[in-house]
Amino acid sequence: MSKWNYEKLGLKAGIEIHQELRTNSKLFCRCSPILTTEKPDFILQRNFRPVLGEMGEFDKAMLVEYQKGLKIQYEGFDNCTCSYEIDETPPFEIDKRSIEIGITLCLLLNMSLIKELHVCRKNYLDGSVPCGFQRTLIMGINGHIEINNKKYGINTLCIEEDAARKVSYNEKNKIITYRLDRLGIPLVEIVTDPDIKTPEEFKEVAFNLGLLLRSSGLVKRGLGTIRQDINVSIENGARVEIKGVQKLDWIKGLIDNEIERQLNLIKIKMEMEKRDLKESDFDTDIIDLSNIFKNTKFNYLKSALKKNMKVFGIKAPKMQGLLCFEILPKKRFGKEIAEKIKIITGLKGIIHSDEDLNKYNLTDTEISAIKEKLNILDNDAFIFLFGPEDKAKKSLEVVISRLKMALKGVPQETRRAKEDLTTEFIRELHGGKRLYPDTDTPPIIINDKMISEIKSNLPEYPWKIIDKIKSKFKLDEKTITDLILTQNLHLFEKVMNNYNVEPKLIAKTLLETIKAMHRDGIPVQNITDDHILSLFKALSEQKIAKEAINDVLKLMAQNPNKSLDKILKSLNLKSISEESLEEIIENVIENNKNLIKNKGEMAFKPLMGEIMKSVRGKIDGKKVSSLLKSKLSRYIMNNK
Amino acid sequence: MSNEDKLKGYSGPIKKKLEQLNIKIWDRIKITSDKDKFEGILLPRTEFDKPNFYYLKLDNGYNIGVEYQEDHKIEVIGYHEGKYQLPEKKVIYNEKKPNISLLGTGGTIASRLDYRTGAVLPAFTPAELFTAVPELEEICNLDTKIVFELLSEDMTPEKWQILGREVAHQINDNNVDGVVIAHGTDTMAFTGTALSLMLKDLPVPVVMVGSQRSSDRPSSDSAMNLIHAINVAAKSDIAEVLLCMAGSSNHKFGYIHRPGLVRKMHSSRRDTFKTIGSRPIGMVEKDKITIFETNYNKRSKNKRKKVKLDDKFDPRVGLIYHYPGIQPDIIENLIDNDYHGIVIAGTGLGHISKNLIEPCKKAISNNIAIVMTVQTLWGFTGLQVYERGRELLNIGIIPGHNLLPESAYVKLSWVLGHTRDLSEINKLMRENIAGEIFDREIYKGFLIFQGVEPWINDILTKI
Repeated sequence: MSKWNYEKLGLKAGIEIHQELRTNSKLFCRCSPILTTEKPDFILQRNFRPVLGEMGEFDKAMLVEYQKGLKIQYEGFDNCTCSYEIDETPPFEIDKRSIEIGITLCLLLNMSLIKELHVCRKNYLDGSVPCGFQRTLIMGINGHIEINNKKYGINTLCIEEDAARKVSYNEKNKIITYRLDRLGIPLVEIVTDPDIKTPEEFKEVAFNLGLLLRSSGLVKRGLGTIRQDINVSIENGARVEIKGVQKLDWIKGLIDNEIERQLNLIKIKMEMEKRDLKESDFDTDIIDLSNIFKNTKFNYLKSALKKNMKVFGIKAPKMQGLLCFEILPKKRFGKEIAEKIKIITGLKGIIHSDEDLNKYNLTDTEISAIKEKLNILDNDAFIFLFGPEDKAKKSLEVVISRLKMALKGVPQETRRAKEDLTTEFIRELHGGKRLYPDTDTPPIIINDKMISEIKSNLPEYPWKIIDKIKSKFKLDEKTITDLILTQNLHLFEKVMNNYNVEPKLIAKTLLETIKAMHRDGIPVQNITDDHILSLFKALSEQKIAKEAINDVLKLMAQNPNKSLDKILKSLNLKSISEESLEEIIENVIENNKNLIKNKGEMAFKPLMGEIMKSVRGKIDGKKVSSLLKSKLSRYIMNNK
Repeated sequence: MSNEDKLKGYSGPIKKKLEQLNIKIWDRIKITSDKDKFEGILLPRTEFDKPNFYYLKLDNGYNIGVEYQEDHKIEVIGYHEGKYQLPEKKVIYNEKKPNISLLGTGGTIASRLDYRTGAVLPAFTPAELFTAVPELEEICNLDTKIVFELLSEDMTPEKWQILGREVAHQINDNNVDGVVIAHGTDTMAFTGTALSLMLKDLPVPVVMVGSQRSSDRPSSDSAMNLIHAINVAAKSDIAEVLLCMAGSSNHKFGYIHRPGLVRKMHSSRRDTFKTIGSRPIGMVEKDKITIFETNYNKRSKNKRKKVKLDDKFDPRVGLIYHYPGIQPDIIENLIDNDYHGIVIAGTGLGHISKNLIEPCKKAISNNIAIVMTVQTLWGFTGLQVYERGRELLNIGIIPGHNLLPESAYVKLSWVLGHTRDLSEINKLMRENIAGEIFDREIYKGFLIFQGVEPWINDILTKI
């Protein structure tokens, strides 16, 4: 059962997917597209300033970003960052492979191809790109994908540079540190139309788009190579972008909570309208209240004043009762405002008249002094906060602008998904105004020959692949999907076509065994396709038994240059004949007469364990168990 | 809008079609065919682009080119003109603050997008810069004037003269406390050297500044460089022509260089300018100025003190880079075309190949001054060391000492503006006129890591 009637609420959602491409170089320089865990070779500090967009207007979100006053620091690496990433050299020619991949994906998504590509600069002031903008180019528009018999519009497909990785944030000094290795790795950004009407559909679309990307073989695999954002609005609400959606399972909760948030913000708006509030009502003065608290018992405030901080406050006319309005369970409107201040100015916490002020140890005298100074009447609320003068004043300006926004209901924002499936403010939603043509790169013309060549080699759709594999190898759909998602399908087919091995065993090895080894800290990244092929070759030639797969893979990962023969030797894994197995079993029975006498048939398990110790991987375990079973029953029968 | 402007950059069938439909740039249009639909603002196109595309800005801000198709249906659905211009900011005069004159000549520091070429062109008025860099207000009263709107590669000795006269006017007639010149970085050192020779007995600092990243980028170095240069002009006591640019790739500090000793050493890095053979005069971090070289011309205490302008230049000077296989006709060509001076960037200690000796002799006998400099940039000419060098001295080639080839070029132009007497030229070229030449090189003058490693500044202060 869903919490909401999505249709009635007019839920509209769209998805934005970012996925790194599989290329040999970064998009605009010839660095390797790799991530590193090494110590940085150099550190740089930079500052940014807002700039006009092409149409001569400032992007509002950029100005808000500038207010944050962040200091930016970069960690650079000689092996994967060059003077381009640090904005000291103009872009080199665009990576051609990325353009080909872009065209391929546009064709798969039935898009109108852009024939003359223009690199644009998407300005960012958060420091995630040292030049202050992401180079991006739109490759296709107006496409669609059909999922469960419904067409979903694909609004745009862009190829762009990935941003730098944020590694730390020093809240006190407002220094944000980015690692430059990821910067410039080619990405595809796919944005759907807001055609999605329920969270379930959203999950389906996200899943299938991801599947399509993976099955094309054109994208990178692994953690962090795909990121998806949710765009969501309801009727009378506004578009909110939710970033950092780490799991598809989060989607429903995030959307449900966002609906609740928007509904309550709309309720606040309606109440404000009822109280006849206008934007101009909030043009109130920011007033210094420091003197009121000279002898305060509110210790935190007291020590702040000692550090030369100041208290400033404003009147929020006719807002009584609205600051404590719950917009989500246990989250009041006041808290939402406080979150925004924290992000923009770094000041933590506001105090307002809808709270129980006694919990701060504020006296009635203090409270009435505030009321007097701010000229608070019956229906008014007040808000105050303390900090360094400039920050405190700026914070109250943020409050004023947020209160004005409340009159319009839901502000357009970019928000970050949190583990509890609520969200917090990151920045105002960026618009088209922050785009600017890249003057460093000429337009790129896509000719028809290039398109028709790509068309003739178009990868198959994953749903078709699934049908094909299902009938060919009798594998269940879930397993095939997993093989596609982990980009193992190609290898799987190669093993199947060359060796006589159970398809389920190959799938299990590729999907589960290696994953489990990774969990145990074994360096599975060293295992190559050739390793896998040689392993299954040995298996199909019965050189090893399937019980040995784990041990062999483990050694392959640890000694990637060792030959299979050497690995088998070191494991003492030469397969044994049935005769010698019989001998081993008979010996074990002979040595455990007492045990068998006491336990009878129940002795099977410990005996099996002992035998397997010496034969594991050398002969099929099923054979061992059936032979032991028959020999044991015969022995028991004979010795009754 | 003129007819040309209405469809700026469009030609051929597209232009014809747009004209027929009475569509102009900045119109919001919808282009449809049976397969596709594109909607956006029609943007001006650049001269160098292919003619068969419509250039559109989509609602999401992205730009695309839509290929011309005869059967396209086009309709106008609106209009939105883009004006890329910062509002100009009026600043209130404060008599307690120093008065600085900011002269604009163009270049990246004052640049914006140009639709004709798609490249960045100088077009910001300096007044717009105050909107972009409000910090400037705190430092001084600024008066701005656009002298040129040029890319610095289009500078000429004639323009140096115009600029020199303007600087002298600002100092002598407007009594400013410092002059800042925004200039393209490519030839900033040339212009700076020319000014340093022209402006004698400077009472106040004259600071050249530019940027390596245009100011239409959030990461531009222009704001930082301007703040630094204006601080140096307003507050330092170095009454010389200076060049103040980013000291490192960090947005942290600037170096203060002497223009005759500084060189643009990287085609694109922010910290491109390096003082060659010595160290910068000092550094500046926000308003904190640290001096490395204490021997400089001090700011005059007399507020009325005038600068003497000596703006005679002879532009008929050539600059030749020597290379293996060079042919004598390069020199002969200069003789035939009535050049008055030649600067050669020679190999090693200042050498040229044998086949150039005769044409050089001929040039000198035609009263053309030849000055030798070194391609190595660091170090002195040493014409007395090898036989070839002695031969060059013998035929009358003037050793340029440690003059950088570009500085030698500027200096020779200036010297030739005053005399064509070869021995007088020889004397003047080797004389230190504005800090462009010196006679001893300190050990750490060969400091090629200037600004690149954080520990360099310690060394610079300790030398």
